[in-house]
Amino acid sequence: MKKGIRWKLILTLGVTALAIFLFYPPKDKIKLGLDLKGGIHLVLQVVTDDAVNIETDTEIARLQEQLKKKNVVYKAIVKGDVGVFTIQGLGTDQEAILKNILDESFQEWDYSFIGETISLRMKDQAARYLKEQSVVQALETIRNRVDQFGVSEPLIQRQGMAGDRIVVELPGVEDPERVKNLIKTTAILEWKLVRAGPAPDEATLLAPFGGTVPEDAQVVKGDPKREAGFYLLDRVATVSGKDLRTVRRSVDEWNSPAVSFSLNPDGGRRFEKATAENIGKQIAIVLDNRVISAPRVESVIPAATGGIIRGRFTIEEAEDLVVVLKAGSLPAGIRYLEERTIGPSLGADSVRQGLISFLVAVVSVMTFMIFYYRLSGLNAIAALILNNIILFGALAYFRAALTLPGIAGIILSVGMAVDANVLIFERIKEEKALGKGILNSIATGFSRAFSAIFDSNLTTIISAIFLFQFGTGPIKGYATTLIIGLVANMFTAVFVSRLIFDLTVPKSAKRLSI
Amino acid sequence: MRLFKTPNIRFMRYKYLALGITALIVLAGLLNVIFGKGIKLGVDFGEGTLIRVIFKTPVSVSDIRSELSAVGLGNSVIQETGKNGREFQIRTMEVIRTREGPELESHEKQANDVIAALRGDDGREEQAAGRLDLNGVERRALAGLLETQFPGQGEGLADRVISQRTSLGIYSDFGELSEAGLGSEASSFLKEKTYLGKLTVISRETVGPQVGKDLRRRATQAIIWSLIGMLIYIAFRFKLANGVSAIFTLTQDVLITLSIYSFTNREINLPIIAGLLTIVGFSINDTIVIFDRIRENQKTLRKMPLEEIMNLSLNQMLGRTFITSGTVFLTVLALFLFGGKVINDFAFIMLVGTIEGIYSTIYLSCPVVLFWQKLFKPRKGGRR
Repeated sequence: MKKGIRWKLILTLGVTALAIFLFYPPKDKIKLGLDLKGGIHLVLQVVTDDAVNIETDTEIARLQEQLKKKNVVYKAIVKGDVGVFTIQGLGTDQEAILKNILDESFQEWDYSFIGETISLRMKDQAARYLKEQSVVQALETIRNRVDQFGVSEPLIQRQGMAGDRIVVELPGVEDPERVKNLIKTTAILEWKLVRAGPAPDEATLLAPFGGTVPEDAQVVKGDPKREAGFYLLDRVATVSGKDLRTVRRSVDEWNSPAVSFSLNPDGGRRFEKATAENIGKQIAIVLDNRVISAPRVESVIPAATGGIIRGRFTIEEAEDLVVVLKAGSLPAGIRYLEERTIGPSLGADSVRQGLISFLVAVVSVMTFMIFYYRLSGLNAIAALILNNIILFGALAYFRAALTLPGIAGIILSVGMAVDANVLIFERIKEEKALGKGILNSIATGFSRAFSAIFDSNLTTIISAIFLFQFGTGPIKGYATTLIIGLVANMFTAVFVSRLIFDLTVPKSAKRLSI
Repeated sequence: MRLFKTPNIRFMRYKYLALGITALIVLAGLLNVIFGKGIKLGVDFGEGTLIRVIFKTPVSVSDIRSELSAVGLGNSVIQETGKNGREFQIRTMEVIRTREGPELESHEKQANDVIAALRGDDGREEQAAGRLDLNGVERRALAGLLETQFPGQGEGLADRVISQRTSLGIYSDFGELSEAGLGSEASSFLKEKTYLGKLTVISRETVGPQVGKDLRRRATQAIIWSLIGMLIYIAFRFKLANGVSAIFTLTQDVLITLSIYSFTNREINLPIIAGLLTIVGFSINDTIVIFDRIRENQKTLRKMPLEEIMNLSLNQMLGRTFITSGTVFLTVLALFLFGGKVINDFAFIMLVGTIEGIYSTIYLSCPVVLFWQKLFKPRKGGRR
């Protein structure tokens, strides 16, 4: 055996062995995409303006405090667009004091005086930072929640490098509504003292207060699934979710699902004080601005004891509340932009149908090649099989998920892979027809056909690369298998096929079965 | 064995006829898009919700339509996807457009309406009696139920029931439980404690308008950039004339395929864009092989006029053109026949594209090069 051929043989066998090693056993090594495995794909958007709004509220409160301290007279503070508010009706001669306050402690804000109205706008940089932070925090919170919920191999990532979109992929989860609610809940939990209520409507509720809401109170609706009616609550919360130390699912004295909690020392003290001062009154438990229950305080609850949240929960609801309370609240609202749920049976169907069409495609192409090119057809088949082995090896190596369009890509690359062989074989036939010797025809066939093979594979690869660049999940899977299939094709059809001819056609050959 | 012994077909003689046929198909498609049924955008591009359901017993499309009409969703597209009259694909057509706000939620609500309408009163009594829907229950809940009667075995039994449900799609009677390897005790326990819901939703997909717009933009970009990429590559490897002709060819590929597609009831989704790009790549591949041969023949046969060389090259490569397209056609046909509903539109457009690719290779790429040469090269004996 010639030395060159021996090395080529070793290389070919090495590549084959490596590829098989990479994807064997396929059940563990080949990752299936969501469309084949079943699961939920969500694209959601963080409403980053929320973060700016919340910050604006906090800043307004801080400003009001300082204005009060310095005895600055003004009529009102009015919120405008996102990150904008105005101070109206500023008293005369107060400009200098206000300017002083703003320059000193409100450096994140641009301000301008127009008569007695002062408009403040959050600086772009500060707003950008807040928005960015809200997305990062939301990502972290959602990840925590999903982890607590218990999903294997979830994918949670930002779409693109920046921006406000988050992609969540949860394989194997069947109940989309539950997961969606779990992710979407803002999960701001507060305990607030009840002034009045529940009342069937706002007017009845406010009647004792002269029809208006007292300045330090607010009207909150009951969560329709749990507590009906309207409540008048203290604006300031006694304790909130931030004061929680532990939460776990438990049952109340009637054995219905509930959530028990304990508070950190500071929160515990405040809770103790509030319960001591308000025995006989109601304290409302408010989740995301809806009252979920309003128990009556029967005795002082000592700081270390903690308590229980009741709210006519089902077991699942109580479990989910524990999850969101543990994972923390979202810094901003969430909006769903895209959702796809694929049931496990559809995925299983797709895998089966994909496999059948792959086998039919391979067998029919192989039959044709043997029928048309006889023994040389076997050569092409060997190249085709090796091509597929390399393809699966590469898929496993890149940890690329196999999707249904990906299977289509593989099937297609079977058809395209033999193209290179066809080009070469047709050329060999032409050269033979011109009266050249067998070995010479083979050599010329391969060298002449190469430029066409290279050019044509490359153009298909170019279009597949752009598909990969702009496509989403399943389409990326298609582009991946097509690209790998075509690259592997350059190796198998040109290099390996040649090697097989070198090995099988004797120097003195007078005929070639082609 | 050779497909075409020594063919000598004077392809170039019919170039005007061919261009005429092309124009006719594209025009018909264009008229159809503008005045006729038009091109239907699918769920991927933000239009409605796609729901796939499987029923316990066979139903007909008209049954489904009348149930949906009752809730004002009668204009939904309903297609049967399985062979046994039990699997259907329903696409809501009402597209809710608001400037800003919960657009996706309204799509979702509509999907919920569809499912609720299909379910009707089914299972209401059973649920009130506290029985679970075996065709919808989650693994964990089922395991919990079984655990009450078979301590320590709940998980294992639930696994078997669910995996059998996954392979069947839906349980149509309790007898199928024994095939899952469940003992008669467990089967009769489930028969008592659960019921078989009328249908199972096997998938539902909704893309909100924002993402739909985004995907439309990305699909367009993918097509434009790959066309530019190919133009540059071919112009670099051959001549500008070839690059321009290649672009003409692929534009024709896209237009003709889309024209034919527009006459079917199929929708454009992301896989269709992938299919179009593959057709383009594949057709250009054919074209390049011809250009390659023309270039080679030009070197050896310097005297022969370009038109003759083209004819010769086309004839020389005819066998290859048909064989390659043939093998790809075979594989795509396999996908079309056996690949299932989800990938069927893709397979269809590939079938059309493969056949069309042969035609465009022979009848568009070469004539365009020829016209370009005539246009930009002064003829012999011309005034200059």
